Amino acid sequence: MLRYLTKRLMLLVGIVFVISVGSFYLIHLLPGNPATVILGFGATPEAKAILYKQLGLSKPIYLQYFVWLGNIMRGNLGISFISQTTVASVIRSALPIDAEIIVISQIMAFAAAIPTAMRSARKPDGILDRVLGATSFTLLSIPPYILIVVLVLFISLKLGVSATGPSAYVPFATDWITNLESLSLPAFTLATVSYVIYYRVLRSDLIATLQEEFITMARSKGISQRRIMWRHAFRPSSVALLGAASVNIGSLLAAGFVVQYLLQIPGLGYTLILAINESDFLVVQGIVLTVSVLVVAINFFFDFVINIVDPRISRE
Amino acid sequence: MSDDKLLVVKDLTTTFATAGGDLAAVAGVSFDLERNETLGIVGESGSGKTVLSRTIMGLQPRVNTTVTGSSIIDGFEVVGASENEKRTIWGTEVAMVFQDPMTSLNPVMRIGKQIDEALRVRLGMNRKDAKARAIELLELVGIPSPVQRYNAYPGQLSGGMRQRVVIAIALACSPKLLMADEPTTGLDVTIQAQILNLLDELKERLEMSVILVTHDLGVVATRTSRIVVMYAGRIVETGTTRDVFYHHRMPYTRALLESSPKVSNKSHTRLITIPGRPPNLLNLSDGCSFAPRCKYATDQCHLVRPELQPSVEPGHSFACWNPLPVNAEATLP
Repeated sequence: MLRYLTKRLMLLVGIVFVISVGSFYLIHLLPGNPATVILGFGATPEAKAILYKQLGLSKPIYLQYFVWLGNIMRGNLGISFISQTTVASVIRSALPIDAEIIVISQIMAFAAAIPTAMRSARKPDGILDRVLGATSFTLLSIPPYILIVVLVLFISLKLGVSATGPSAYVPFATDWITNLESLSLPAFTLATVSYVIYYRVLRSDLIATLQEEFITMARSKGISQRRIMWRHAFRPSSVALLGAASVNIGSLLAAGFVVQYLLQIPGLGYTLILAINESDFLVVQGIVLTVSVLVVAINFFFDFVINIVDPRISRE
Repeated sequence: MSDDKLLVVKDLTTTFATAGGDLAAVAGVSFDLERNETLGIVGESGSGKTVLSRTIMGLQPRVNTTVTGSSIIDGFEVVGASENEKRTIWGTEVAMVFQDPMTSLNPVMRIGKQIDEALRVRLGMNRKDAKARAIELLELVGIPSPVQRYNAYPGQLSGGMRQRVVIAIALACSPKLLMADEPTTGLDVTIQAQILNLLDELKERLEMSVILVTHDLGVVATRTSRIVVMYAGRIVETGTTRDVFYHHRMPYTRALLESSPKVSNKSHTRLITIPGRPPNLLNLSDGCSFAPRCKYATDQCHLVRPELQPSVEPGHSFACWNPLPVNAEATLP
């Protein structure tokens, strides 16, 4: 297992390297002088000269990369020329919102998907299975960004939950009730998108697992159906579910951006879209880098969990 | 009366609803089993042995399956009992050793936990006692260093070891009847004898009855007292092991015997195979199912199905219109 995880980790380090080169190179892809890109059009020649020296912009590009990487490693992502605060602090205040929305949405999605998939799989083609099958297929065939818009509109208009605006956001530590109230709608929309995938993946794997001989064997021990489902069928069926979750959470970060923009919640997505509109390049770069590294980290975490759930994977 | 019999099977029929119509995998099977007896059920692949052994204990698939007739294990009628009712006898009265130890163990559960489970759920043992008992069972079935093996996953054990684990699980709640469904088919030849000897030894020690299901007559020759020969879901001959081997009347039994290799054969002797293949159970004729492959078949065989009829020895019966003569040539693998 250790060997397997080390191998995976090495691969991920490679991926992070490629991402970092890509993020770094963004600056040179944009038209114009890098200093202008970073400082904005209103920058004085003096400020530009200082930046040139700081980032070694007159040096060859691969040396610039190492200067840049060194800064990143020390947590120095630069300063936003719009807000005049460090990019790191912008990310630090926005990231917890994304994390919270995603964690809540995943709890909701799993809490709904696991029991319903279990029930469906016990009676394939039963009433519940047919209803959920049709519903989930419909939801699955709508692109998530459209589904999200529809859900947000529907829920906020029908239920009177209104978009609150970025200033209305309260951190969890300050007032957790208000915080949860304001984040429950975005979390719910992301949960719906996730539920559909999780339900379908787990259901089909459960149905396959229930055909296995070891399930008949478990039955022949005289243990209850409930125990067979949870102790024998669930764990071997959850590998694909975890794999799906791993991929899905990455795309939820992006889907979350749409939700945040619609509901004016000041998470990473909202901040990113504002920064793009304002050409606040360093903030864009910082968020892109953060999200990429996060996706990689989430993948690694799920690799680890999958290994614990199914020890066969690292053994071959 | 048959009160003292451990198992009484009467007219047992298992029908699967398939896309091509109803398929009777087991049709009208009747036999019984004494306490501490070992019975062999023999037949080719697809003859209904596995379905029969599962239906006897009520372990047939739960959907698209109809069972009629009767199967009484120690006074408990299995046919028609609900899953919850059957659970009360599974493990404690009757247990099964499955065919392929590669698929019959849960791959993501430590083997110790798979043995524990039955002990804790069915016998209400606590964690500690169950673990101690599980280790005892591992030792009983001949697994070296059982304390370490307790924490192993099935994938870390060889096929023979896994089958021993499967046997340990089956024995956990001391069943009176052990169904062994081709317990050695998935194993290396060198391991097969070990597992069969283990089953024999455990049967004596634990005073169980055993039903040994196999396609290999060599397996049942020395280990069973009686044999049931199956073809296309029906019993075609049954009697003591001796009668079936030496005085068989049904040509199919003869063909089966001839197709197993014998030690007394000269090297490079060609094995005699049974021509043709087992019939499609979806469209059986009204006659004898074996008739299309039988060299003795007459018109009557193709038109009317022969019922089981007694032979000269007590308890020996066969289903055939043109049986072999009473003093058929002895063949023993």
